[in-house]
Amino acid sequence: MRRDGKKTPSSNPNFIGVLELDKALLQERLGKNSDVLFREFKLKKSNVSCLLIFLNGLCNRKTIDKDILPVLLEPFDLDDLELLKLTGKIDFIKKYLLPISEIKDTNSIENVTSKILTGDAALLIDGCENALLLGIKEEKTRSIEEPPSESVVRGPRLGFTESLSVNMGILRNSAENKDLIMLELPVGKRAKKSLVISYLNEIVNPRLLEEIKRRINKIDIDYVADSGYVEQLVEDNFLSPFPQVQSTERPDRVMAALMEGRVAILLDGSPFALIAPVTFSMLLQSPDDYYERWIPGTLVRNLRLMAAIISLLGPSLYISFISFHPGLIPTKLAMSIAGSREGVPFPAFIEALMMEISIEILREAGLRLPKPIGQAIGIVGGLIIGEAAVRAGIVSSIMIIVVALTAISSFAIPQYNAGIALRYLRFVSMIFAATLGLYGVTLFFLLLCSHLVRLESFGVPYTSPAVPFRFKDMKDFLIRAPIAMMQRRPSILETKDPKRKK
Amino acid sequence: MFTLKKNKITNVQTVVIITNYILAAGILTLPRTSVEAVKTPDAWISVLLGGVISILLGIIMVKLSQRFPEKTFYQYCPELLGKVFGTLLSCFLIVYFLTIAAFELRVLVEVTSYLLLEETPRWAITIPFLWIGVYLLAGGINSLARMFEIIFPITVFFFLLIIMMSFKIIEPDNLRPFLGAGILPIMKGVKSTIISFIGAEIMLLLVAFMEEPKKAVKLVMLGVAIPTIFALITVVMVIGALSVNGVFHQTWPTLELIRSYEIEGLIFERFESFLLVIWTMQIFSTFCITYFSSALGLNQLLKRESRLVLLVLPAIIYIISSIPKSIFEVFKLGDYIGKISIVFFTVIPLFLLLLAKWKVSSNDQSSSS
Repeated sequence: MRRDGKKTPSSNPNFIGVLELDKALLQERLGKNSDVLFREFKLKKSNVSCLLIFLNGLCNRKTIDKDILPVLLEPFDLDDLELLKLTGKIDFIKKYLLPISEIKDTNSIENVTSKILTGDAALLIDGCENALLLGIKEEKTRSIEEPPSESVVRGPRLGFTESLSVNMGILRNSAENKDLIMLELPVGKRAKKSLVISYLNEIVNPRLLEEIKRRINKIDIDYVADSGYVEQLVEDNFLSPFPQVQSTERPDRVMAALMEGRVAILLDGSPFALIAPVTFSMLLQSPDDYYERWIPGTLVRNLRLMAAIISLLGPSLYISFISFHPGLIPTKLAMSIAGSREGVPFPAFIEALMMEISIEILREAGLRLPKPIGQAIGIVGGLIIGEAAVRAGIVSSIMIIVVALTAISSFAIPQYNAGIALRYLRFVSMIFAATLGLYGVTLFFLLLCSHLVRLESFGVPYTSPAVPFRFKDMKDFLIRAPIAMMQRRPSILETKDPKRKK
Repeated sequence: MFTLKKNKITNVQTVVIITNYILAAGILTLPRTSVEAVKTPDAWISVLLGGVISILLGIIMVKLSQRFPEKTFYQYCPELLGKVFGTLLSCFLIVYFLTIAAFELRVLVEVTSYLLLEETPRWAITIPFLWIGVYLLAGGINSLARMFEIIFPITVFFFLLIIMMSFKIIEPDNLRPFLGAGILPIMKGVKSTIISFIGAEIMLLLVAFMEEPKKAVKLVMLGVAIPTIFALITVVMVIGALSVNGVFHQTWPTLELIRSYEIEGLIFERFESFLLVIWTMQIFSTFCITYFSSALGLNQLLKRESRLVLLVLPAIIYIISSIPKSIFEVFKLGDYIGKISIVFFTVIPLFLLLLAKWKVSSNDQSSSS
């Protein structure tokens, strides 16, 4: 055994038990890294050499200096010696010395190497074939903040962070529930990351759970950078413009989804949790709808639906009425539009296209800049350019109104990625309008609906609960019924326990 | 697919499919065709009778289909009539559906190019329409049914809104006298109104896809009753507003009704654009269901699932739709379809139903003896 180790040290999967050799083995694997520190010392001022290996940036140095090294270095007293004889070195250190909550021992070099690189410290003792892994990783995380992409007027101000353990903690913290399962599945071939699927065991449909597990296990990629990767790798139709998994930074949203019988996916390093399956109506909802009383909740919901329709069809209706059917709009309005378009050298389509593209550029530019500059860009772009364009006679003032209205409408959609989908589809609808007028817009609507009814998210029709029509589910669609009346979970999910209330 | 049974439609979907299938091109011309046949303001009674008869026919067809669970007409017809006659009848049904699809397409082109797109070439109007149909149908009957569920409420809402707004131009005198010429003209009118209601034949295929085929009778009654009510409202409103003589001279009397009033103070003063939008959607749904039915028939006759059929049929539909040379020939084609369908769907389902019953009873006898 030892001989084999000597011949080809790097192929040996286990530690040998001789500190010098084991150190060489580890150094061969980790020595190139400047942030891996090797600290050699004698156990309790005896002649037993020990080696502590840890990663400089990830381990808690304070714990090493104040808690670990002092107990290992302080001289033996008589009791200790007897205990040492009784239990053996490893057990003695584990059981009597180290004031650390998470200690594992392992024999595998591979395991030790990867653990060191993810923030554990490893302790090797001369004469022992096992190494001790000390869980003293210090999470590099920011503090819990309000989610910037999904703010609410009323509701918890808590948002997920980049740390998986903190995120799981937040979810656990939101309510005591012994049903809440956090199942870990590692993803990534070269750089492993932990991914957790979370669900309520007593509620979730087992077939949905199986499907999600199957798709996650199928992920074969060397590195998963963000939950956005997971989203794109598990979605049903990658050609669709619509998000088929909901991403959210809000723990309350995740909790509510779990309570409906959905499944959440959390990925280490990403503050965005994924919720599946998702339906189109969910993308137009905000937690506010439920926290406020039901009448404002209902009204706001319908307002958002209207905003979605405006942001999708606003410019194309304008184009089709102006260029194709001016006779269909009221005479006075037609006159005033014609008046404002007087001198504009472009057809309505080009005019709309120019303004829509420039407002998209403005939005994109403002997004990446620091906040104060972003606002300045908005003012310069929106107000000054718009005003100047009208004065110069390049575009009509009606066009500015239409463009501004559609842009604002698209921001009224609570889910950013759904807003983007509608914004880009707007250009498609403009092309339809420019070629076939109102008939073209109707065709576009039919095409969009054809796509939506074909789309499914993890086996759930994307257009539910509206289609397929289920009267029970309508309580949480256009109308947000009073909470006392919402007694059942969405029936389309076929949960184990369909009742919310008894 | 884990929650929904694949290729099954719910009860609501069944009703919506029947309704959307029946509500189609006819709604724009029905006031004229009925008045032409009846020649008195009692045309609406013919419409009502037409609806009732259509429901009866629907019930016969449902009863027939319920005898063969999970099987469409194309599958059980050869069983009943033998291979040659069964296939022949199935082929006839396929051609029938194709012709309706072509007819709807042609009417769509006529109306669109008359009112919305005067200079646009016809192929530009039809081809995107056909492609969207192909895309939708590639998703199977579930997509089709869901699509209809989206179109239906939009149609109902806007249709009622638009029609109700024409209340103020209705002259009750135009609807009198009631039964002034007796019952005879009404009975004559039924012949032409029933053409607009032929649609229950879709049940020959739909029952096979239903989750609860036992409820089919109720659903077909509801599915035919809804368009009957719509047609009734339309005919009453149009005759009330334009009078019997006024209706005679209009190619699209329902559109004329909408064009003949203006409401001030709203964003829109005229509403024919709304009507055209929902009507285009209705045509789309009728087109899709007939196209689906013929594609289904071909696939089941050839005994395989082929996407190719979906791509070939639109070309055939397009060719058939461009055969009529003028709008009058289009209407003539519509008339032929209607007349053939009356013969076909009154005589044959009844005959097949009796045949099926007879076969069962003779089988019983032979097995017991």
